[in-house]
Amino acid sequence: MARVLYDEATRVYPGSTQPAVDALDLDIADGEFLVLVGPSGCGKSTSLRMLAGLERVDGGRIAIGERDVTHLPPRDRDIAMVFQNYALYPHMSVADNMGFALRVIKVPKDERNRRVLEAARLLDLEEFLDRKPKALSGGQRQRVAMGRAIVREPKVFLMDEPLSNLDAKLRVQTRTQVAALQRRLGTTTVYVTHDQVEAMTMGDRVAVLKDGLLQQVDTPLRLYQQPANVFVAGFIGSPSMNLAEYRVEGEEAVLSGGTRTRLTRETLKALRDEGTDRVILGFRPEAVEVVGDADKDHTTFPVTVTVVEELGSDAFLYGQYADATDPALREETVIARVDPTAPPSKGARVFLRIVPGKEQLFSAGTGLRLPT
Amino acid sequence: MSTSMTPRSSVPRQAGPDQAVRGNGHGILAAPPGMPQSPLEESSRRSRWVVGILLAVALLWTLVPLLWMLLSSFKNRTDVTSATPQVLFAPTLDNYRNLFTGSNNLGPYIWHSVLAAGISALLAVCLGALAGYGLARTQMRGKKHLAFWIISTRMAPIAAVVVPLFLIFRGLGLIDSIPGLVLAYLTFNLPFAIWLMSAFFAEVPASLEESALVAGCTRWQAFRTVILPLTKSGLVTTFVLCLVFAWNDYAFAVVFSGPNSQTLPIAASQLVTQTGIDWGQLTAIGTIVVVPMMLAGLAVRRWLVTGLTLGAVTGE
Ligand SMILES: Nc1ncnc2c1ncn2[C@@H]1O[C@H](COP(=O)(O)OP(=O)(O)OP(=O)(O)O)[C@@H](O)[C@H]1O
Ligand SMILES: [Mg+2]
Repeated sequence: MARVLYDEATRVYPGSTQPAVDALDLDIADGEFLVLVGPSGCGKSTSLRMLAGLERVDGGRIAIGERDVTHLPPRDRDIAMVFQNYALYPHMSVADNMGFALRVIKVPKDERNRRVLEAARLLDLEEFLDRKPKALSGGQRQRVAMGRAIVREPKVFLMDEPLSNLDAKLRVQTRTQVAALQRRLGTTTVYVTHDQVEAMTMGDRVAVLKDGLLQQVDTPLRLYQQPANVFVAGFIGSPSMNLAEYRVEGEEAVLSGGTRTRLTRETLKALRDEGTDRVILGFRPEAVEVVGDADKDHTTFPVTVTVVEELGSDAFLYGQYADATDPALREETVIARVDPTAPPSKGARVFLRIVPGKEQLFSAGTGLRLPT
Repeated sequence: MSTSMTPRSSVPRQAGPDQAVRGNGHGILAAPPGMPQSPLEESSRRSRWVVGILLAVALLWTLVPLLWMLLSSFKNRTDVTSATPQVLFAPTLDNYRNLFTGSNNLGPYIWHSVLAAGISALLAVCLGALAGYGLARTQMRGKKHLAFWIISTRMAPIAAVVVPLFLIFRGLGLIDSIPGLVLAYLTFNLPFAIWLMSAFFAEVPASLEESALVAGCTRWQAFRTVILPLTKSGLVTTFVLCLVFAWNDYAFAVVFSGPNSQTLPIAASQLVTQTGIDWGQLTAIGTIVVVPMMLAGLAVRRWLVTGLTLGAVTGE
């Protein structure tokens, strides 16, 4: 049980000028499930490996509990790590794999066996204890890797994409199991994934990284509702948020093609302070309504439907801005959630309106969220 | 080392002796026998025959001289030198008996060979494993060049190092001593062992030792409990190959050894005298030289096969 603290932690790999992790500040509470998420190469694994002691910390510091671990070797950090490829020892049985850490720290055999058995029971692995890892399925290997971490009873669990080698269905199942297990054990957990759905469903809080820089750390809901910048807005959510650049005219934002949206006084002030007449307007697929031909007005925009994705409980329309004169916008895809019982047909022209108050505004210059 | 001698009992008979040659090494996965005959099947059958015949020729080329040596070592003086090759003859142990009796007993030679080759192979494997592990895991720049430099010292002809080594050994009083021979053999075995072992270690995923480090191991513990057991076939392969190289050495032994350290190949050469060659005893020594290495190879062939193909390091 311990709090984990990254304080301006920085890693620059030898031979590169750009830090892989740049002054990362994270304060992870005792017992919290924190997910690190971001696109490939953003520094998630590096951040985790710095905490594990497998990667040097070139600047700043890292603490586990009250202890500064910045320069401690991995074995003195009291952590357990689950690797993406599980890293099970091929020459040891499942039981030996799970008890390995206890054997290293010379826990007596009886207690070792008891703890291994307990974890095996928890993870439904009892019948496999005598097998070698190669005689297990992917899902079973994954559970052994989890078991190996649990048996250790460490201060912190570190997991680097532990589900990415499972097939889609098993991944969803295991996702909830891992989250439930963590709640039950109450062990502080840092979990790396590139899958934002995994991040949103598992994390107490989610930290979004890009190019080694922390973009935002918050609860899944707040990340979704109030993304701090355009990157987070586009990264979190599936299907992703629609983002389009608008021109500011008077008190309104105007889309190429003439659609207008009113801006609040706060937004206008922020834009004036920045001295720009451009603004990025974002809206979630569910923040859009389809309106009939008769109801079209200056707040609606026409869309040519290219694809309709019917999922049963939901349906999503993918289309192109039909009236856009700006060639860049013509290339954009707009996504809208539509009534699954009466979805529009492919090739149709429909009118969409952003539900008033549901738009999110970002600076075109800095990408930062603007007040509304 | 003739591992191709081993029977392939698990292989279907129709498949012929060329399993490993077909389909980029995945011969076992090739189409099962008894499939309908297609033109393709037909031509692959023919090529299988060709490969089979070539292999048989190669096998004869390797085995016949060895077999002839073995037979000759049991012949008496007239049979051995007979102008018409004798295949059927009355076997005798005279050649062996003569080797171990008389003034020039073979016993010490065998002992010297065992000591020099065994110790140097053992040292080569131990040091080679440590250095090879370091080489496999280091991130330093120019690592490739370092690895190549190490193995390139193995490529230098022995004749090039004999003289300087002789001068050094004389200065250190290592001439005519087992430690001297062990050191001499290390000069060619160690680079080879480092290079081979580093290839084996490179095959072991780094996450395995990282996992051990996180679990509480020191680097040494991780190496000993996780990495070494996984490279067992590499260790065995390296040991056997180093043993064979050292065991067969003549060039170093003839320069550095004396009465206290002469090895088997030297004993063989001493039978070639100005008064003639004792073919019977020579083939007997030859047999004594070859058979132990052959048996060693057979005993560890399971490891050798996986080791020589650099496969199965992770125990799959
Ligand atoms: N050993 C290394 N040496 C040099 N650069 C490295 C090394 N490991 C990672 N990097 C670089 O550091 C950056 C961050 O890498 P990292 O592995 O942390 O990414 P990641 O977010 O885990 O990506 P992924 O989702 O693909 O696993 C990348 O640009 C990568 O190229
Ligand atoms: Mg990664």
